[in-house]
Amino acid sequence: MELHERIEDYKTDSPRVSRFSEERFLLFLEDITAVFDGFKALDIEALGIGHNELRVIIGPNGAGKTTLCDVVSGKTRPATGRVYFEGRDITGMDETEIALMGIGRKFQTPAVFDSLTTYQNMELALPGRRRLWSNLYCKETKEERDRILGILERVGLLEVRDLEARYLSHGQRQWLAISTLILSDPKLLLVDEPAAGLTDSETALTAELLLELRGDHTIIVIEHDMDFVRRLDSFVTMLNEGKIMAEGTLSELQENEEVIEAYLGR
Amino acid sequence: MSNVALAKTDQPLGGVRWLGMHNALLLLFLAGLVGIPLLYYTGQISIETVNMLGRYMAFAIVAVGLDLIWGYTGILSLCQAFFFSLGGYAMGMYLAHHGGPGGMVDASGWNIPACLYVVYPYKVGEAPADAMLPWFWKPFYTLPATVTLGLLIPGAVAFVIGYFGFKSRVRGVYFAILTQAITVAAWLVFSMNSMKLGGTNGLTRFDKIAGYSLADPDVKMAVYIITLLCLAGVYLLCRYIVGSRLGRVLIAVRDNEKTLRFAGYRPHVYKVFAFVVAAAIAGLGGMLYTPQMGIFTPANMEAGMSIMVVIWVAVGGRGTLSGAILGALAVNLLYSFFTSEKDFILFTWKSEYWQFVLGGLFIGVVLLFPKGLCNIGRRFAGKH
Amino acid sequence: MLKRGVLYRTGIILLLQAIWLFCALSARADDAVVRADILRLAHDDPAVRREAVMALAKTGDQRLEDFLESYRMGSIYIWKGRPVLCERTIMDEEMNELAPLSDPLTRRPLMNNGRQVVVPVAELTGISPTRRERRLAGRAKFLLRLSSPDAAMRLSGAKKAGDPPGIVEAVELLRELSENDPDRKVRYTARESLLLLRLNERTAGPEAEDRLAVVRELGEMKSMRALPRLRELLREITGKDHGAEGFAARPLRTARGLVRSHGAPAADSAEQVYRRAIRQIEIHQGFVDYFGSIFQGFSLGSILILMALGLAITFGLMGVINMAHGELMMIGAYTTFEIQRLAGHTPDNPSDWYYMLALPAAFLSSALVGYLIEVLVVRHLYRRPVESLLATWGVGLILIQLVRLRYGDNIGVNAPSWARGGIEVMQDIVLPYGRCFIIVLCAFCVLLIYYLMKRTGLGLRMRATMQNRDMAASLGVNTGRVDRYTFAFGSGIAGIAGYAWTLIGGVTPDMGQTNFIVDSFLVVVTGGVGELLGVIFSGLGIGVLTKVLEPATIGSFTVGAIWAKVLLLLVIVTFIQFKPAGLFAPRGRLADE
Repeated sequence: MELHERIEDYKTDSPRVSRFSEERFLLFLEDITAVFDGFKALDIEALGIGHNELRVIIGPNGAGKTTLCDVVSGKTRPATGRVYFEGRDITGMDETEIALMGIGRKFQTPAVFDSLTTYQNMELALPGRRRLWSNLYCKETKEERDRILGILERVGLLEVRDLEARYLSHGQRQWLAISTLILSDPKLLLVDEPAAGLTDSETALTAELLLELRGDHTIIVIEHDMDFVRRLDSFVTMLNEGKIMAEGTLSELQENEEVIEAYLGR
Repeated sequence: MSNVALAKTDQPLGGVRWLGMHNALLLLFLAGLVGIPLLYYTGQISIETVNMLGRYMAFAIVAVGLDLIWGYTGILSLCQAFFFSLGGYAMGMYLAHHGGPGGMVDASGWNIPACLYVVYPYKVGEAPADAMLPWFWKPFYTLPATVTLGLLIPGAVAFVIGYFGFKSRVRGVYFAILTQAITVAAWLVFSMNSMKLGGTNGLTRFDKIAGYSLADPDVKMAVYIITLLCLAGVYLLCRYIVGSRLGRVLIAVRDNEKTLRFAGYRPHVYKVFAFVVAAAIAGLGGMLYTPQMGIFTPANMEAGMSIMVVIWVAVGGRGTLSGAILGALAVNLLYSFFTSEKDFILFTWKSEYWQFVLGGLFIGVVLLFPKGLCNIGRRFAGKH
Repeated sequence: MLKRGVLYRTGIILLLQAIWLFCALSARADDAVVRADILRLAHDDPAVRREAVMALAKTGDQRLEDFLESYRMGSIYIWKGRPVLCERTIMDEEMNELAPLSDPLTRRPLMNNGRQVVVPVAELTGISPTRRERRLAGRAKFLLRLSSPDAAMRLSGAKKAGDPPGIVEAVELLRELSENDPDRKVRYTARESLLLLRLNERTAGPEAEDRLAVVRELGEMKSMRALPRLRELLREITGKDHGAEGFAARPLRTARGLVRSHGAPAADSAEQVYRRAIRQIEIHQGFVDYFGSIFQGFSLGSILILMALGLAITFGLMGVINMAHGELMMIGAYTTFEIQRLAGHTPDNPSDWYYMLALPAAFLSSALVGYLIEVLVVRHLYRRPVESLLATWGVGLILIQLVRLRYGDNIGVNAPSWARGGIEVMQDIVLPYGRCFIIVLCAFCVLLIYYLMKRTGLGLRMRATMQNRDMAASLGVNTGRVDRYTFAFGSGIAGIAGYAWTLIGGVTPDMGQTNFIVDSFLVVVTGGVGELLGVIFSGLGIGVLTKVLEPATIGSFTVGAIWAKVLLLLVIVTFIQFKPAGLFAPRGRLADE
């Protein structure tokens, strides 16, 4: 399908127009622009992410991929346009509100709490329990502990569970960030470059984890690494200079002249 | 598992093994509780020394509060002296109500404390009809109300400052500057005679506390013991907070507030909480300080005083509650050592040279022992 | 031989006397008249005596000002038919009271054979003025000024003539001045005084028509000096007409009445005339006060800008909070003091060149201390603002104590004589030279910094280091050196701020800590870190706001310096609610870092 057709297609299902939009899309962006000092970092006419879809977003440096994440997660206010999540307009909500609605995010550079141990990092990510007073006396239940330990075992962080996160290697931090995201069980996961700095086998495990989550979570993955993207075998949106340039499967995109040109330069 | 987690929390920035530190503190506490009275009643030390130690412990209480907000939550507050003074003034008003000779009764039947005559243009005992006790003095007539207000007022002020500061995401050093500015403004306001708080002369002419004479050595000893117990209580309270999950959230605020927000927490709620608790603790310190000092002046909230609290914590070791206590005691003992005149072979040490020691301490701690005394302890403990 | 010598000597003396006489006659042609008038001061008839005083006053001879003062003090005597001056008598060995004599006009000793003439007191006839004459002589002093060739003297005379109780004798001279004086200000003041004198005449009631004309004209002139008198007269009128209903109770109605009756002034009641005049003057006065506050705010803001620039640059470049910045300012102020001391400048020896010398000295000494601070302390604390805050606070404590031990607690820097006085840009609005100088100095420094940052190699390296230290270092920028020079430069600018401050404020060792460091940081916070323009706007804004708030009144409550500070802080906190990163916040990807 041609790109503009796809975008037209998105538009017909905009929550503004269609009351069935919610059934089709978990996340919907419409007319989003983000401007920094006169520079348009993002300019998206329409983009929808379906329920339980795994969407990969690729694009050269400065294409606006991270800005897209920032706009969805509330870090950056878009200059124009609306972001809908589960049919609700979430534009202008702050980060916490958006996170509480069920959008989780892993940053490009893995952000963990350095002075807390691996286990404590996980503990803070447990769903619920974001209120002040409950934190003053609550302890985690046995099931929760088992879950934490299960995930840590899966990603091989069990041995370092009582080590402060500052002593973890880059790969381990990356894992920890992904683990906390998985543990917090959001409806939508924004995963920014999960494979950066990982070895091949680790990359494979990451892909495996994400694929496992695909069944009952919606995931947006931003990635450079084509091997990794191929492994995910999902629908791909390509951004360039803040705009959607192409959409389709990876193999479709790889045949697209424009895409090749954007990646290889003129 | 949770035991391990607990054990770790006292040393997020380093510190001796928890049990070791714990024992050391326990020892210190017992020494203060039993040793000091023993020394006094056997005549080894004077009641003035006990009084002085009591004051330093009041300072240590403030330091523990600052450690909660700065060491654990990562917010440098230069407001602590202001909160301390709010507590101090609360207790000062109570003591002034029940102190001093030569007060006078105003038209509504209230006794005007003697120390207010500094700011009233009348002689002691004269009673012009329009001289009235200011309304805000009245709640501080009874001790329970005073203690409650002495905790609540600093807490409420901290809530307002914290809510607006943290909600608008004033961070790090900006918050420090903002609180510094607030403290300076408060200092200027409290120094005004028209505030009816004794102006720069402050509140003084104290006599009785809860019916007992403050001049009595036994009462002084009792106040000292109460201060020590309060210090222990504050320490345990902060330990509990820091050891709970909430404490871990506080540390997470310090480490990476942004990420915490994306994890669905509202960092400003936690920051306000820590700030309010720290302020109330500082107010408690002020309330315990006043009867042991016998006077409370606005000089206690000069710009330098808040930074002094910071240096106590920095000397002891930021992020360890025990370090805050040790640091406050150590710096103040240094102070009392260096502010007395001493003859050396070649020159005479004068009390004004203390500023040099203090300045050197600031520079030295930051450059040489950025993690404080407790860290040195751990360095040695870790070696064997 | 001897005879010839005597002859010669007598001849020379005669010649000299002739020359002296000639000179004296040509310089003061009316000397004889003046002296004759002075003799009339001793006349028996009081009317003649008063006439004599007035005659003297109208000569306009400036020497007479001192004479009249001596006359009032009773130091003028007649000796052998000529007036003499004797201020102090002396005693000889036999306890006889003797009087050394001087000329009453030149005030030079009367000489006889090379020695001052000293005569027994008994030989003198005193001219002791009565109280009335004494008062008259006091007024005559100002009358004299009215005919002075010096415009400033005429101005002071004209002003004095109208101030209560008023010098009625001056009316003619004032009228003359108000019409023909070459100086505009003198003409205005003379007219004003003339009107004030007429306002005070007790012949007609306050509601007489010619009196009202005077009131109208004073209002048109916006005479601030007339305000208290007009209010007084209005109270007299309203007290008579309306009894208890006072002046303050009905300002609004008056204001409306003013608008309505504007077209038909003839229909005005006396009260309305007064009210309108008062209102005109009050508006003018409010404007003058407001303008004065704003101008003071500008100069205060200029100093804050100088302070904040250094802070903003070092914080932007090195991530360092320099709490000793206030002390660097203090060092600049003390350097100015030290240069003044070395130059031997005292109020009695007002040489002004020291102040020019102090400018580079203040810059260099503060820069040197700043350089040392950077090398010894700050260098180790990059990107650790809180730690640097503590360490530099310690540095500040040490500097304060050093200065206190050396200089004690309070010193005074005398402003150079050219910094006194000011330019009157509009009626009653005077811009003091000192404050003008500060503003110009600040503008110069800002332009210099702008030039350094945008147009020189050092500036380029500095900006590169500011944006990405590692990248700059790897491109061959000696970042350490850039830091040192930048820090020293920022410190030097703080020194200049201290130098400028000596013109308008007191100097104490802890001036930086108590007065300036917090305010300068607020300027930086409000303006946005590393933003030159933001610092300038917020510096001026905070300076002006402070000075405008200080004299403001809310009901009967005057804000004053302390509450102004509190209010200002509230304003800043509110502002930060909306713009947490300052006026000119950097945005985009790098904004968080």
